[in-house]
Amino acid sequence: MRPMTITTSMDHMATRTRGFSRRRDVRQVVALWAVLTVLGVVFGLFVPARLMGPPASPTMRGIEDTMTVFSVAAAPVAAVVWAVALYSLLVWRHKGAGPPETDGPALRTSRPAAVLWILLSSVLCVFLLVWGLAEMGSVATAGSRNNPMVVNVTGNQWVWTFDYPDKGGVQSDQLYLPVDQPVVFHVRSKDVIHSFWVVKMGIKVDANPWEVTQTSVVPNKLGTFDIRCAELCGLLHADMETSAHVVSGAGFTQWLQAHGGHA
Amino acid sequence: MTAVTTVGDPLPHLEHPDTIGRRWRAGVILIVLADVAFLLSLVFSYFYLRGLNTAGAWLPKGTQGAPIWPAWAIAAVLIASAAVYRSGQVAIHRGNVSRISTATAVALLLVVVGLVAQVVQLATLPFDLDESSYTSAVYVLGGANLFHLLLTLFVGVGMWNRSRLGLYSPTNAWQVRVVGIWWTWIAIAAVISAVPTSFIAAPGG
Amino acid sequence: MSSAELASRSGCKRTEVMHDDCRTGKGDTMSEAMVKHGALPTAEGGGGSMRHLNALTAVAGGVALAALGWLISHHFMQTDDPETSDQVVLITLGCWAVGFMAGIGAFAGPFRWLLGNDLTHADEMHLAGKDQGVGRYFRFTTDHKVVGVQYLIVTMVLLAVGGTLAMLMRTNLIVPHSNFLGPQTYNSLVGLHGIIMVIATIIMVTGPFGNFILPIMIGARDMAFPRLNALSLWLLVAAVPVLLSAGFMGGIPTGWSAYAPLADQATPGMDGYLMAIVIFAISSAVAGANITTTVLTMRARGMTWTRTPIFVYGVVASVGLALPALPMFMAAQVELAVDRTMEGQFFIASGGGSPWLYQNLFWLFGHPEVYVIVIPAVVALMELTPVFARKPLYNFNAAVLGIVGIVGLSIMVWAHHMYASGWAPDLNGPFMLTTEMISVPTGVLFLVVIGTIWRGRIWTTVAMMSVYAMLWNFIIGGVTGIYLSDVPADYALHGSMFVTAHFHYTLMGAGLTGAIGALYYWFPKMTGRMLSERVGFVSFWLVQIGFNVTFLGMFAVGLAGQPRRVFTYPHMFATGNFISTIGAYFIGIGMLITLYNVISSWRSGLVAPANPWGGKTLEWAVPNPIPLANFEVLPVVISDAYGYGEGDPQPPHWRADPHSPATPELVPAGAGTTISDTEGSPQ
Repeated sequence: MRPMTITTSMDHMATRTRGFSRRRDVRQVVALWAVLTVLGVVFGLFVPARLMGPPASPTMRGIEDTMTVFSVAAAPVAAVVWAVALYSLLVWRHKGAGPPETDGPALRTSRPAAVLWILLSSVLCVFLLVWGLAEMGSVATAGSRNNPMVVNVTGNQWVWTFDYPDKGGVQSDQLYLPVDQPVVFHVRSKDVIHSFWVVKMGIKVDANPWEVTQTSVVPNKLGTFDIRCAELCGLLHADMETSAHVVSGAGFTQWLQAHGGHA
Repeated sequence: MTAVTTVGDPLPHLEHPDTIGRRWRAGVILIVLADVAFLLSLVFSYFYLRGLNTAGAWLPKGTQGAPIWPAWAIAAVLIASAAVYRSGQVAIHRGNVSRISTATAVALLLVVVGLVAQVVQLATLPFDLDESSYTSAVYVLGGANLFHLLLTLFVGVGMWNRSRLGLYSPTNAWQVRVVGIWWTWIAIAAVISAVPTSFIAAPGG
Repeated sequence: MSSAELASRSGCKRTEVMHDDCRTGKGDTMSEAMVKHGALPTAEGGGGSMRHLNALTAVAGGVALAALGWLISHHFMQTDDPETSDQVVLITLGCWAVGFMAGIGAFAGPFRWLLGNDLTHADEMHLAGKDQGVGRYFRFTTDHKVVGVQYLIVTMVLLAVGGTLAMLMRTNLIVPHSNFLGPQTYNSLVGLHGIIMVIATIIMVTGPFGNFILPIMIGARDMAFPRLNALSLWLLVAAVPVLLSAGFMGGIPTGWSAYAPLADQATPGMDGYLMAIVIFAISSAVAGANITTTVLTMRARGMTWTRTPIFVYGVVASVGLALPALPMFMAAQVELAVDRTMEGQFFIASGGGSPWLYQNLFWLFGHPEVYVIVIPAVVALMELTPVFARKPLYNFNAAVLGIVGIVGLSIMVWAHHMYASGWAPDLNGPFMLTTEMISVPTGVLFLVVIGTIWRGRIWTTVAMMSVYAMLWNFIIGGVTGIYLSDVPADYALHGSMFVTAHFHYTLMGAGLTGAIGALYYWFPKMTGRMLSERVGFVSFWLVQIGFNVTFLGMFAVGLAGQPRRVFTYPHMFATGNFISTIGAYFIGIGMLITLYNVISSWRSGLVAPANPWGGKTLEWAVPNPIPLANFEVLPVVISDAYGYGEGDPQPPHWRADPHSPATPELVPAGAGTTISDTEGSPQ
């Protein structure tokens, strides 16, 4: 209907955009957005990973990085919404009792705004996905390299039991692991569903009756770490916890021998 | 205050039967949709458990599979029933009012036959419900079919009685059509629930 | 084509239909039919046996049949211990429901249909609650406005019970090892709180406002199936005591998700849970079919899809999604019942069953369910944003596409609840994809809201402030959802308090906030009284600040590794839990103030004008109190309801329908239907 070459339409849009960006309220909203974004980025850089505590495995380090990266990526998006909301409350609020006497401008549709918004959120979404898939790949290979040690994990109401089939069948209710040695957990349950969770190592998998599930990790930090159950499993679910002791290779061998096993 | 009193004195709302019929058709299709979701969940359960065959206990040694043909025979009876009902529905639109009560009576009779057959099938299964996941799933699929048939029995008796009383005419036959949707669905549902029970042993097991 | 043309064209169609009928000489049969079925106005006194039925007879019927069921099953089941026998409990509860529904009169209509003795106009007037005063709220009343108010009350009762349980749980967690409740009680309250709140939040918008407001908003005189409307409400009422009975039979010690095989072990409280779900699923299917049909077939003339208010889309999306979702939940519960009562093996691994089957069925329902709750609440806020910003809804088409996108994707994301279950590790990637994709249509809804408030004349009522609260809370809920959608991050966070905080930010921070905003907005239309804004703001700030304190504290302990559903915790989580509990008390006080506001304003609030907010949707065009048939003359819609700032003075966006039938012209709606005569055709 209206013949318009691409160039003129783009010129038109450029003019409109320039006019838009010169508006005083637009500039103030952008400034507010920038401030909120910086606050959000600072929050994202320092808070979530810190709350999760120092990681005890490369897997957990990757997860904490994910939390940081996602928080930083989300900051500008959240800031757009909050900047407009905050500004509208501060500046566009109708003051005085009773309803506003006049209406606002009849802005109905803006195809460019919608397209831009959807495009940007899609790009962000693709980024999250690619990041997640890459991270999944590294988690999957974490424990399967270098001849991993197998540990059988059994959950029953409300204790965890660990046994080391390659190490002379040593059995324990505390988990001992040599540092920097890849380990694969074969997890099962004797009754209801439990969920095997080594908090600071960032691994978790359900323990199911009659099925064996797997997860793997390379513990890279000496120390004692909490193991909890992450699936409601009855009366004492809250108390179903034990410890993972990450010790040196020599210390591990010593522990095995003390419990009738061999290295 | 609205909460306490009613105001207004509405006259009867007069609408064209086709308007009401269209509305009911939409409503019944949506209810059938919910029922489809329910039935497919049971079918999914059957195939999922058969595929997993946890602990090798889907069909344990010593448990005999149920004969396949009864479920199909019941489905065949219900298909015939739906077809007979359908013939009455077609007739009333052609102006033949008397045909619908006969057709509904025959269709209803076939539903009763299906109902009895379903009860007999459940009573004569060569296993108990608690033997394995397979036996549980077979009983529940049969139970769902039984439940469908009981509902259809109610609707069918109503249709037969009402058509006998001459409540339907070629221009006011939307109830006949709407019940037809349900009748067709229970025939299809019988087929859907017969399909899984034709696959007994777990794959590779 | 102009809207006037459209209106007159459909008018022509209508006339043609009539002429066609007249030409073929069917007119005679029709008037005969009218007389035969007595659909023309008759003297007062319809209702027949239903005159004597009400909530009291329903309870009596329920109790009587339940007692009978208990005695018979107790006798024939030969069980040693009837209190703990699942068969006896389930039969008793089922009998209660059937007896209750019989006592309220739910079966009268179907049986009269069976006998060919259709309801007369007088019967249907009685059913619609004409001239019954307050009594009609305690009957099987078909008027959608009565049903809406009934839903509102059921919702408030459920929220009050669920909220009280939350207060008890938070009190138990105020310090580690408090022993205020003990593990047994605590665990059973977790599940009870969860499922009560899930049911309450599923109905909190589509129940009260979807039933009361929506038909008027689309210019209809009632719902498509008024008796099914009453049926869905009373089924829900029947389910409430069944659900609460669980609290007296050992509770629901499994959490609201009731994972098998823990649920197979649980005490008979579990039977209360599963029976309540079965009844609720039927109620929802009926309600969903009814609301969807109403919107599809009963919108005012001229109300094309682009002129249909966004709230209508949101409600249909919600009930349309619940329609196939809840039956899957019901199927899971039927299988659980078979396992519990007949030694079925569906979820028993040693018998060839699988707990993963339960999880799949549960989350096939469970994830759509999240959107069943959130969509109508957020969309109610989208409906009121243009009114209080005095601007058109921004990018209406994008909003519709956003809703459709969320609905479409929501059925493909269920297994992100099962990343750590070991069910199918290879599918984690695809489910991460679909889950993260859902952020795109959700983001569109944010664009629509901020675009609408952009340069508006913001009237900061409690309702409008709920929009701002939603923008804050839902962003936090959404962003934390993105962490959880990431498979490795979910391995760290699944089953922790982080998840609990996340879904409270969506279901409560966006969902319940939206429902409360909708209540402040529509209360004047529903009751004829204004809710106090002053009291409302006190409650608003208490709830919102308390909410953020509670759940930000919960995020912190979740990140640090506190599992959810625990009655106690190590000392390392003490600070965060203490903060959470204090915040929860603020929510509790704020909610009590809201309850006070509702009760006192309902009794003696300011009398509301017909259109206190200057809204343009059709519900604001009907007078207070609303006539039984809503509209004297049906409206024809000629534009959408968001024409703020377009022309001065603004032309109304609807007018009276010149074709609105003033005299009986076609056959009666009676003729053996359940179409209520409340859809009257006034002179």
